[in-house]
Amino acid sequence: MAGVLLGVSAALAGCQREERQLRLDPPVADALDKIALMPSRIGGAPPEVYFKLGKPYEANAYNLSQGKRLYTWFGCKSCHGDGQGGSGPAFLDGWWYYGPELVSIFASIRDGRPHGMPAFGDKMTTDQIWQLAGYVQTIGSYEGKTAAPSRNDEKQTRPAENRAPAKLLFDEGPSPVHPDQGPTP
Amino acid sequence: MTRPATAPDTRDIDIERTRLTSTLAETWKTPPGFWGALTTVDHKIIGRRYIFTAFVFLALGGVLAALMRLQLAQPEARLIGPDRYNQIFTMHGANMMFLFAVPVMEAVAVYLVPLMVGTRNIAFPRLNAFSYWIYVAGGALLWIAFALDMGPDVGWFAYVPLSGPQYGAGKRADIWAQMITFTELSALAIAVELVVTIFKQRAPGMTLDRIPLFVWSMLVTSFLVIMAMPAIMIASTGLILDRLFGTHFYNPAEGGDVLLWQHLFWFFGHPEVYIIFLPAAGMVSTMIEPFARRPAFGYLGLVMALIATGILAFGLWVHHMFVAGLPRLGDSFFTASSMAIAIPAGIQMFCWLATLWDGRPVFKTPLLFIIGFIVTFVIGGLTGVMVASVPFDTQVHDTYFVVAHFHYVLIGGAVFPLLGAVHYWFPKLTGRMMSETLGRWSFWLIIVGFNATFFPMHILGLEGMPRRVYTYQPDLPWHGLNVFISLSAVVLTAGFLLFFINVLKSARFGEVAPDNPWDAPTLEWATTSPPPSYNFAMIPVVGSLHPLWDERDTLPVADGLRTDRRELIVTTLAAAEPQAREASPRNSIWPLLAAVATTIMLIWSIFSPWAVVWGSIPIAVALIGWFWPKGTPEDES
Ligand code: HEM
Ligand SMILES: [Cu+2]
Repeated sequence: MAGVLLGVSAALAGCQREERQLRLDPPVADALDKIALMPSRIGGAPPEVYFKLGKPYEANAYNLSQGKRLYTWFGCKSCHGDGQGGSGPAFLDGWWYYGPELVSIFASIRDGRPHGMPAFGDKMTTDQIWQLAGYVQTIGSYEGKTAAPSRNDEKQTRPAENRAPAKLLFDEGPSPVHPDQGPTP
Repeated sequence: MTRPATAPDTRDIDIERTRLTSTLAETWKTPPGFWGALTTVDHKIIGRRYIFTAFVFLALGGVLAALMRLQLAQPEARLIGPDRYNQIFTMHGANMMFLFAVPVMEAVAVYLVPLMVGTRNIAFPRLNAFSYWIYVAGGALLWIAFALDMGPDVGWFAYVPLSGPQYGAGKRADIWAQMITFTELSALAIAVELVVTIFKQRAPGMTLDRIPLFVWSMLVTSFLVIMAMPAIMIASTGLILDRLFGTHFYNPAEGGDVLLWQHLFWFFGHPEVYIIFLPAAGMVSTMIEPFARRPAFGYLGLVMALIATGILAFGLWVHHMFVAGLPRLGDSFFTASSMAIAIPAGIQMFCWLATLWDGRPVFKTPLLFIIGFIVTFVIGGLTGVMVASVPFDTQVHDTYFVVAHFHYVLIGGAVFPLLGAVHYWFPKLTGRMMSETLGRWSFWLIIVGFNATFFPMHILGLEGMPRRVYTYQPDLPWHGLNVFISLSAVVLTAGFLLFFINVLKSARFGEVAPDNPWDAPTLEWATTSPPPSYNFAMIPVVGSLHPLWDERDTLPVADGLRTDRRELIVTTLAAAEPQAREASPRNSIWPLLAAVATTIMLIWSIFSPWAVVWGSIPIAVALIGWFWPKGTPEDES
C-alpha cells in the first residue's frame, strides 16, 4: 500500500526529468536547429520535434545542469556575471530585451545580438545551445523548478537556480532592487 | 479490544496445561486475515517478513550483478550504456549493503533473539512493526526510482562533490540519501529493541556468561548500530540540505569541507562491515556446537573477541581514505589499527578450528557453509591486511582488487554463514527440514562459482582494471579473465537459484521437523517448531550455558505470570534475577500509520524543505494515536 502510494507520487514527479540523452541522433539535432523566428527575431516557435521529445530543455535536470556547466565553460560569466549582468545585461531581474521565450534565448545564443553578444552557433552543438538556453531561462525565472540545478561548489553570489533567484528582484517590496541593466540595444 | 480469555488476574499455575496453552494462544494471537497482518506485533511474524523481504532484495541485487557481468564479458559491449551502468553498480552496492546485508542480520535477530533468551516477545514490539514498514518503504523508494531512470548513480558511498549539487544533477543522489535515512531509521529501531531485550528480558538464570554466542554478537552489533548510524544520517541529511536548500556543509569555497563527507561516511561505513560480519560470526559460533558435537571452544575468548572487534571497528575508518592525502602520521596510525583487527578475528578463527578439531563433526549443509566461510573469509582477511598498507593500497585503490577483496569478506564472511543459518534454523521457522541433497549441490556450486568469479578479480586489479567502468577496450589485456569471470558467475547464479528452489520446495514439501532436529543446546529449540505465538508456555529457567544439553529432560520453568494479558518476565542485567512482571503491548495499526506518515514526509522533503514542516503534522498525529494512554495501570513488580 505504501509502495503504491510511493510509486504513484514518484511517477508523477519523475516522468522524464531524469532521462540522460548523452548524444542526440544527428537528424534530431538537425531538426532541433530549425526554429521559426518572427521577423523581429524576438519570439517564435520551436520546431515540431521539440514537443515530440517532451520539451527536454525546460524540465530535464541533466540538460539544465549541463547548461549551467556550459555557461561557465563558454565564458558567459565574463559579460553576464553570475546572472547579475556586467557589460552584458542581467538575467536575474527577469527583464528580457528579446522576451522570455526559450526560442528567443536560443536565437540570442546561436546568432548573437547587437551591442556585443557574439554568435555561438559555430562554437557549440545545437544540443548544447538548447541546454544553455534552458539554463539561462531558469536564472531569470521567478518560479523555482525542482529540476533546476542547485548551487555550485564556489562562492555564492545569489540564491541557486532551484530557489528562483529572480523572485527577490521581481518582488518590489519596500526597498526594490535595481540591478545595472548594461547598455541598451 | 479483545476480551481476556480467562478471568482477570488468572495466573499460569492456576490452570492445567491444555487450558494454559489455549488461553495463552488467545491472549497472544495475531488475528488471521489482512487486518491481522497489518497490525501484528509478533516478533516471529515480523522477523519472518523481514527475512523474506531481505532475500528478495538479495535476488534483485543479484540480477543487477548478473547484468554487469554480462556487459563486462566482452570489450566494448553495447548491452548497457555508461549512464545506466553507473546506476546499476550503485544500485547493486547500495541495495546489497543497506537493503540486504544489514537488514537480513537484524531480521534473523528479530526472529531468534527473543527465543534464544527465552522470552515471549521482543522489547518495544510496536517499534519493531514500525521498523519493518519503514524498511520496506525505503527499499521501494530506491527500486521505484531506479525503474523511473532516477536511480542513484554516484556509487554506494556517494562521495561529494560527485553527489553534491554541482555534479549530481537531478534527484538521483537525493534518492540515495533518503533511502539511507529509511534504512538507518529501521536499523536503529531494531538495535534499541535488541539491547533492551538482551539486557532486561533474559530468562531467569541466564547470567552474562550463559548468553548464547549469537545473542552476544547481536548485542555488540546493536551497540555498533547505535553509535555508527547517526553519523551517516547526519551526513546524508547535510547532503540533502546542500543539494536542495543550498547549505554549504561540503562546499570548501564557503567554509565547508569535502573530506568531512568521507570522514562521516566511513566513520559509519567501516563499523558497517562489522555490523554485517559480527552477527554472521555469532551464527557460526552458535551453529558449530551441534555439528561439532561439543561446546564452542573458548566461550570467553569468543565473547571478548566480539567486544574487541566492536570497539576497534571505530578506530579504522581512515583506511578507506589513504589516497585522499591525509597526514603521514594519520596514515600510519590507521594502518596499524587496521592490522590490529586481525587479532580478534584470528582468535575467533582459532576457536572455531579448535572446536571442530576436538569435536566429532557431522558434515551437514550448515557445517559445509561454515567451512566454506572459514576458508573464504581467511582469504578475504589476508587481502584486507594487504590493502591496509598505504603503499599497496595506493596501487590497487579503486581497482578490481578491491572488488575482489570486499566480496571475499562480504560474501565469504556474511553470506555463507547466513546461508548455513537458513538451513539450520529453517525447521524453527517453518516446521520442515530443508533438503540435504539440494543443500549440498547448492553449497558446491556456490563455493566453486564464487571463487572462480572473484579470485581472478584480484589479478585483474593488479593488471590495472579500474572498478566502476562500464566497458574496456579490446587492446587491453583484460578480456580473457573477464570472459572467465562472467562464465563462473553463471555457476554462482545456478548455486543461488538452487538454494532458492530448495527453500521454496522445502517450505511446502520438506520433511516434517521434530522440535529439536539437530539436538542443539540453545533455548530456541526448547519450544515447538514453529513456535506458538507466546513462544514458551512457561518461561524457562536457565542453569547453564547449554540448557538443552545439561538439563535434557527437565528444563525448570518459572511460574506466576498472568494468562489473561500479555506478560513477560523482566530480569536484572547481570545476574538475570527476576525483577518484575511486565506487560507487552498488544497489536496496533498505529505503527503502520506512523510509518506511512514518515514515508510521505521523507520523500516529500527531497522536493521541498516545507515538507519537514507540513509533513510533521501527520507524523505527530500518528504518534499521539500510538502512545494514547490506555487507562490500564502499569503492573506492579
Ligand atoms: C551474488 C553475487 C555477486 C556478484 C556476481 C557481484 C558482482 C559485482 C560487480 C560486477 C560489481 C561492480 C564492480 C564495478 O563495476 O566496479 C559489484 C560491486 C559491489 N558489490 Fe557485488 N556482487 C555480488 C554480491 C554482492 C553481495 C552479496 C554484496 C554485499 C553484501 C555485494 C556488495 C557490493 C558492493 C558494495 C559493490 C560496490 C558498488 C560500488 O562500486 O558502488 N555484492 N559486485
Ligand atoms: Cu574499513
